[in-house]
Amino acid sequence: MNKEALYQERLARIKKAINLEPVDQIPVAFLGPAFAPRYMGMPLAKFCEDAEAAFQVTLEAVKRLDVDAVNSLVIGRFPVVLTLIWLSHIRAPGRELPPDALWQVDEAEVMTPEDYDFIAEHGWQAFLNKHLPKVIDPAYLGESLDFMMANASRGVPLFRENGCVVIASGAVSIPFEPMCGARSMSKFFFDLYRMPDRVQAAMDRALPEIIAGGIGLAKAGGAMGTWVGGWRAASAMVAPKLWDRFVWPYYLKIVEALVAEDITPVLHFDQDWTRDLGKLRELPAKKCILNLDGMTDIRKFKELVGDRMAVMGDVPASLFAAGTPDDIRKYVRDLVRDVGPTGLILSSGCDIPVNARPENVEAFVAASREYGKAA
Amino acid sequence: MEDQLTVALANLEESNVLAQVNERLKAGHDPLAILKACQEGMIRVGKRYETCEYFISDLMMAGEIFRQVADLLTPKIKRSDAPSRGKVVIGTAKGDIHDIGKNLVVALLKAANYEVYDLGVDVPPERFVEVLKESGAPVLGLSALLTIAFDTMKQTVAALDTAGIRKQVKVMIGGGPTTEETVAYTGADAMGRDAQSAVTLCNQWIRASV
Repeated sequence: MNKEALYQERLARIKKAINLEPVDQIPVAFLGPAFAPRYMGMPLAKFCEDAEAAFQVTLEAVKRLDVDAVNSLVIGRFPVVLTLIWLSHIRAPGRELPPDALWQVDEAEVMTPEDYDFIAEHGWQAFLNKHLPKVIDPAYLGESLDFMMANASRGVPLFRENGCVVIASGAVSIPFEPMCGARSMSKFFFDLYRMPDRVQAAMDRALPEIIAGGIGLAKAGGAMGTWVGGWRAASAMVAPKLWDRFVWPYYLKIVEALVAEDITPVLHFDQDWTRDLGKLRELPAKKCILNLDGMTDIRKFKELVGDRMAVMGDVPASLFAAGTPDDIRKYVRDLVRDVGPTGLILSSGCDIPVNARPENVEAFVAASREYGKAA
Repeated sequence: MEDQLTVALANLEESNVLAQVNERLKAGHDPLAILKACQEGMIRVGKRYETCEYFISDLMMAGEIFRQVADLLTPKIKRSDAPSRGKVVIGTAKGDIHDIGKNLVVALLKAANYEVYDLGVDVPPERFVEVLKESGAPVLGLSALLTIAFDTMKQTVAALDTAGIRKQVKVMIGGGPTTEETVAYTGADAMGRDAQSAVTLCNQWIRASV
């Protein structure tokens, strides 16, 4: 089968999964920004510094594993992308860390309570212009952004030429997430209790700009969807009264805006969201993919929301790193049995970790093919 | 009648708690009695977390309130009047610099009257061994947010064995990616699924060792 025909076949499976229709084979997606270079023998320092080499090595890893799709494709220096998501300094291999060490978020209290007022008055971009130089060298950021803007649209067609679908390009999140990173998590959480009105005023002012930026990034990348990220805003982390005020209303608005632009929201929700899964029923049916990392009860999701939304995941990182191929096979078998066969895209729970055993990742793909085949 | 200071802390009423503590100090109340009222509030917080009424943000806020209370009271309490419940050494394993979860565990352990040796982040196995030997702590807590720390956790547990202190020390692990499989992989004794579980494990182990 030629690559274009293979691409169309794989794309059709993913669209059917989103639409909760039967498939001949449950699609398999890859996500492993740190695993890909390690798997292909590239030092992480090179992966982080050389953005061109980074997405080429991701393509090579994906071809070797022969998966249907990548969950998300980053075109750019990965630590810089993390800085833009978390508004934090990132310690990177080859810079602050040894050449093959994993990057790490160096979270610190950089944003101040007065910045909430600044955002409410001047807007989100004005705040970013003020804040980012405190966590990343402006020249380095500028050079990185130039590359990203010039090359954003190359990824999807390149992967297509190789028969692989890119599900999401770009990422957006609720104001909660970047503000949490910028303030540091503990200070931000205390702010929600101590100064809720100030925080909300800033969030409300920031959201339209954040949405516009997210749509712009998604369109620049050209994939079918874009990430809508959730990490510290997870239900297990945040008291219900805070979650109902500072988290959910903002996700609703982001998702509605993306769907209006025909962009598939990939709700990349790490940590445990089980408490609030029922809320997902408020989102447009058969338009989103929920992407779980193994901490949310995926079977509960299927029970409560499975008639309206597809799910992607959720083989846990710990299993890839410390488990065996047999552990992986059993996990995939049970996942397909309990959550499939419709509305499921098999994938890792968030990133395949840098220290995943290659045999476990290969076992994941093989098990997905075996158990994901329609009876 | 319920102590209103206990109730206020359990309800996460920060200003109310600090106001009551200051009032009682001014009125000449025994600082240890004030501390115990707040510790009772923390116990209620823990129970509300276990029954899923409270979540991580509530635990963090409670820890922050208690930290401020402890800052006010500790200078006024004689160490001999408030013997600790036991000693715990804790740190984030080598290779990992994340500390939010670890810091929450430290706050809750201190609120539960444990003497905590917080070694920070990126802690090599030999440092854990050194402090365990010096302090005589019977519990070691290892935290990680990255799977790459699983191997250094395993090395740390092995280092306890090499140093001849493994049998005297119970090891608990915790952090985002840790699972029961990680316990087996690292050779630890148990995992705390959340910060409150870490306190529960210490309560069980240190009571058992008395």
